[in-house]
Amino acid sequence: MDIPYTVSARPDTGLYNAKIGIWLFLASEVMLFGGLFSSYIFLRVGADYHWPVHELNVTLGFINTLVLIASSVTVVMAWASLKLRRIGQFKLYMLITVLCAGVFMVNKTFEYKAKFEHYAVKLTDGTYLTGHLPEGYEIKFGEVGDLTLTVQARTSAIDADPVDYVLPFLAGGEARFKTEDGSEIELNETTFADLREKALAKAATEGKNNAAIKLVPTSPLAFKAKPGKILGYNATTMTFRDGSIATGKLTDDSMVLEVDGVDTRSVPDAEKSLAWNAGYLGDAWKKAFVENRDHHLKAFEEKYGDRRDPKKSATLQKEAFFMHLHSATPEAGHGDDHGEKKAAAGAPAEHGDAHHAHHPVVKIDKKDIAFYSNFTPKLNTYYAIYFTLTGLHGLHVVAGALVLAYFLFMDGRRLRENPEHLANRVEVGGLFWHFVDLVWIFLFPLLYLL
Amino acid sequence: MADSPEEIQKSIRKYLWIGALLILFTIITVALSYVELPTHSLNILVGMIVATFKAALVALIFMHLNHERPLIYKVLAFTTVFALALFMLFIFTSGDPLVFEGF
Repeated sequence: MDIPYTVSARPDTGLYNAKIGIWLFLASEVMLFGGLFSSYIFLRVGADYHWPVHELNVTLGFINTLVLIASSVTVVMAWASLKLRRIGQFKLYMLITVLCAGVFMVNKTFEYKAKFEHYAVKLTDGTYLTGHLPEGYEIKFGEVGDLTLTVQARTSAIDADPVDYVLPFLAGGEARFKTEDGSEIELNETTFADLREKALAKAATEGKNNAAIKLVPTSPLAFKAKPGKILGYNATTMTFRDGSIATGKLTDDSMVLEVDGVDTRSVPDAEKSLAWNAGYLGDAWKKAFVENRDHHLKAFEEKYGDRRDPKKSATLQKEAFFMHLHSATPEAGHGDDHGEKKAAAGAPAEHGDAHHAHHPVVKIDKKDIAFYSNFTPKLNTYYAIYFTLTGLHGLHVVAGALVLAYFLFMDGRRLRENPEHLANRVEVGGLFWHFVDLVWIFLFPLLYLL
Repeated sequence: MADSPEEIQKSIRKYLWIGALLILFTIITVALSYVELPTHSLNILVGMIVATFKAALVALIFMHLNHERPLIYKVLAFTTVFALALFMLFIFTSGDPLVFEGF
C-alpha cells in the first residue's frame, strides 16, 4: 500500500503528510529539550558552588557552532538544488552536510575525552586542585600476612569470590598460598571450589552457615586497587568487595596529581588554603597566587571603584581566586597574569599530553582529600547537565546524519523515478537537522560562555 | 508546496546571507560573553536575546516558517506556550529556604 500524499499536498491541510508528521515530532522534541533546559535553570539557580563560566573549551565549541551553521546552510541548499533538479549540486551539498556532522562528532569526542582525563580534587578545606593523575589513583597495600575468605552456605550478597574480587588486584608476588592443613596451593577457580567445599562441609558438622578460609601467602604479596574497587581499608587491613580481608600494611594511599589549577573560591581565607602547604604547592606558588589575586582585585577596583561589589563579579572571582598553572615552577611562568588570557583562548591543560610536563606534581595525603572525581556528572550538577544535554544533542546529530546519509547514498532509485518525493524527504530531514542546529544555538552560550 | 522554481532560485542567495549572519552573531555572542556587564545576569540576558534572534532566523528562513500553512502554526502555538511554561517553572523556587543571590 502506498502512503498517500507523500508528494502532493493533502487538500484539507494543504501539506504533504510527512511535513505534518515532522512538525508534530519536532513539537515533542521541543518539550524533551525544554524539560532539560528547565532542569538547567533549576540546577543553576540552586547551585551551591561557583557555576563554571568559560570553563569548557570555547574554541572547540565555537568551531562546532560554525560547523553546524554551515551544515544548516548546506542542507537547505541541497533541498533547493533538488527542487531545481540540479542533481550534482544536491549530492555535493548533502555530502558536505554529512561530513559536517562527522566533524562535529569528532570534536565532541576530543572534548569529552579531555573531560574524562581531567580531575578535580576537593581538599578538606574546600580548595579544589585540578589536574591529571599520571599514575591513576590506587591504594597500595603490601607485606600481606594472611588472606581470610569467608564462604557462605546460603546465598548471600557478600560471599567469597577471590578469583573475581581479590586476585585482579595482585600487584607483586604470586597467588600461591599455604592452607590451614599445611598444603600449598595456587589460588584459582578450581582450588577455591575445592577449599570452599571442604570448609562448608566442616561448618555443616559444627552447625554453622559460614566458614572462614585462612590462607597464608608463600611469597611476599602486595595489592593495589582503585578506592572504588574495594570495600575499604585501614593501616593494617584491606577489605575486598567479596568480603575477603587481607592483613598487612598500607604502603601508600596518597594521590600524585599534576596540578594545573588551584580554585580557592570556596575557602574563607585563600592564603591559608591547604594547597600552599610545604609538601604541596608551597610558598613560591602562594606568592604567585597572591600577586595574581591582588593584581586582578586592584584592576577591578580601578575600573569600577565603589560601583561594583567585587564579591558579586563571577568573572573577577574566577580570575582572582582560581589560578591556572602553566609551568612547573611559578618563576618559569611569570605568575599567572598571562594565564587568564590563555584560558580565554581555550581551556588550558587540555590540549594533550605534551603540556603535562609543564605542571607541578604534588603528592596529596589521603587525609586531606574530601572528594575527587574526573570532570563527569559525578563532579557537580553543571557537568551532569552538560553531559545530559550535549549527549542527547550528540545523539540527535548522529541520528540526523544517518537519515541524511540514507537520502544521499541509498535513495538513488527515488532520485531517478520520483525526485519530487525525495525533495520532500530531504525537506523533512532538513527540518530535523535545523532543529538540531537550533538547540545548539542555545546550548553553546549556556554551557560554554555564560 | 508554493515553492516555485523562480522563488527557490531567489531564496538560494538568501540562505547564504542568513548563514553569514548566523556566523556573525555567533562571533558577537562569544565577544559579548567576555564583556563584564553590571551583573552576570545581564550577560545571560543579552546572550539569550542574541541566541533567540539566531534561533528565529533559523526557524523562519531555513525551516520556512515565514511562509507555512496555518495548521503548523497552530501546533507550534501549543508548543511555545508549554515550552515557556517549562522555562518559567523556576520562579516557584523563589519561596525556597535557600536564598538565591544571583549568578
